[in-house]
Amino acid sequence: MKDAVKERAILRPLISEASTAKYGAIPGACRRLLAGVVSAWVLLTPAHAADVELLPSPAAKNSSLSRVVSDKSGNLYLSWVTQTEGSASLYYSTLNETRWSEPQLVSQGEDWFINWADFPVLSVSAENKAAHWLRMSAEGSYDYDIDARFYDAQTDSWSDTITPHKDGVSAEHGFVSMLPVGNGNTLMSWLDGRNTKTEAGYGEMTLRAGIFSARGETLSEWELDARVCDCCQTGAAMSAAGPVIVYRDRSGGEIRDIYITRYANGDWTPPVAIHDDQWEIAGCPVNGPSVAAQGDFVAVGWFTAKDDSPKVQLAVSTDSGEHFSAPIRVSGPDTIGRIDTAILANGQVAVSWLDTSDEAAQLTVSRFSAGGSLIDTTVVARTSASRRSGFPIMETIGDDLFVTWTDISEGPEVRVARVDFASP
Amino acid sequence: MNALKTGVNRQTALQFLLVAVVGFSLPAFSSDKAPGAGKWRVVNYWSEWCAPCRIEIPMLNALGQELSAQGVAVVGVNFDEDPRALTLEIAEELEIEFPVLTNEEVARLGLRPPDVLPTTYLLSPDGEVVAKLIGMQTDAEIREQLVMKGALFDEDGD
Repeated sequence: MKDAVKERAILRPLISEASTAKYGAIPGACRRLLAGVVSAWVLLTPAHAADVELLPSPAAKNSSLSRVVSDKSGNLYLSWVTQTEGSASLYYSTLNETRWSEPQLVSQGEDWFINWADFPVLSVSAENKAAHWLRMSAEGSYDYDIDARFYDAQTDSWSDTITPHKDGVSAEHGFVSMLPVGNGNTLMSWLDGRNTKTEAGYGEMTLRAGIFSARGETLSEWELDARVCDCCQTGAAMSAAGPVIVYRDRSGGEIRDIYITRYANGDWTPPVAIHDDQWEIAGCPVNGPSVAAQGDFVAVGWFTAKDDSPKVQLAVSTDSGEHFSAPIRVSGPDTIGRIDTAILANGQVAVSWLDTSDEAAQLTVSRFSAGGSLIDTTVVARTSASRRSGFPIMETIGDDLFVTWTDISEGPEVRVARVDFASP
Repeated sequence: MNALKTGVNRQTALQFLLVAVVGFSLPAFSSDKAPGAGKWRVVNYWSEWCAPCRIEIPMLNALGQELSAQGVAVVGVNFDEDPRALTLEIAEELEIEFPVLTNEEVARLGLRPPDVLPTTYLLSPDGEVVAKLIGMQTDAEIREQLVMKGALFDEDGD
């Protein structure tokens, strides 16, 4: 039934606005040839590298799992987890000009599930904040629940800790995305393993979402997909038409491509593929998609490795995620993914990923025009390909791009940098 | 794929150097004291949170026991690179019976970290990667690859 719903409803690729404007209608074979030439040119042409300014970090040593996020007022927030003997704490700090505020503690625990790929999210709006972390739920080391707290600016207080999923099943719950949706409410989406524990063996991972008030009350909850990839991040963004959620699907034939569902007309649309990669794997890629939105413009970046050929791709939409362009190749074949996507105020798109070089890795950002043309590629930092270096995260404020990652060269330390695209 | 070969090339270069300087090769020479070194190896990358990895483990436990007499070792790699004590704790919880390599032993293999879990590499006795099996495998699929690569005799005589 699931596959019938999806019916391989692959979205028709849009011809990029740049190519249509310049060349008009192009026959299919010529278009493919042109696309190949353009792709080769994009991949081979040396690009200007933007300046990277390393900022001081407010996180103590032995910190990792950092994220950057901003509110509509242009305030940048950094969140991270600090581990001490037998305990973990989730903090955040805000950047004021060039100084970070005193770290604020969101929560602390001795039974958290700490994982390099599945880690806390901080969501912020002008009035509210929300944050989550993962807590071990049972004797099985891979059974964990989502815990969350919500900050209400009106009462200047955090809510009690709630668990957004009410299934009570000891299973995996995680890979959370969060998004402020107005009126102090927060949209959360997550992978929910309530159906994985069956007598017949390991069942199917589901994608669920809910809307929660500033007091942590569940206002709505949905199952968005009954069978998804078990171990990849989800992504969420607010388009002009409403929230969109992206994730890695899992078809009956073990195709694990990137899908999107949109909230429209009071309900979630049936999930459809961003692109028909046809990556068939009976395993966990641990490389979820990311999405960013600005008005009707939506950008989705993702990792795929069909035929054991790794690459990072980008697709853009000009209609709030209803249709997407053909994929634009961002990197490959030395990428290990761990991507993020952001949109600058000027409409340009930034995609970050890790590239491997011998035993090291490079945290790299490529900037694209809204039409998908490569502008430049910048190596933000040399880091480790180790899982302990985690997933770098980006955020934009205006045309500034902020990036955070974990440096494990001298124990885990949180790094933050500003990428200056304005310099010549 | 070049990164995948780096470790192998270094080891091969060392062996060439040994032949050039000493004048002969030591077939069994290896500075690698890791479990299974010098044998055909089935190197399985797993993680505690990877459901198909957990499903494979009983099969790999049995395969390791059954093939040890035939010069094939099954060894594991914790994809998450947790500290050694934690890795061993997780391995015990997952009831992994085959040896789990240390992070240093994994680094010496020179393998590209897999893009998908589980991934199982087949290594020849000199450490060359002869097969990369992506996703969950069956006992028969691994044995078939070992036969194809010459690590096992085909018991059916096909």
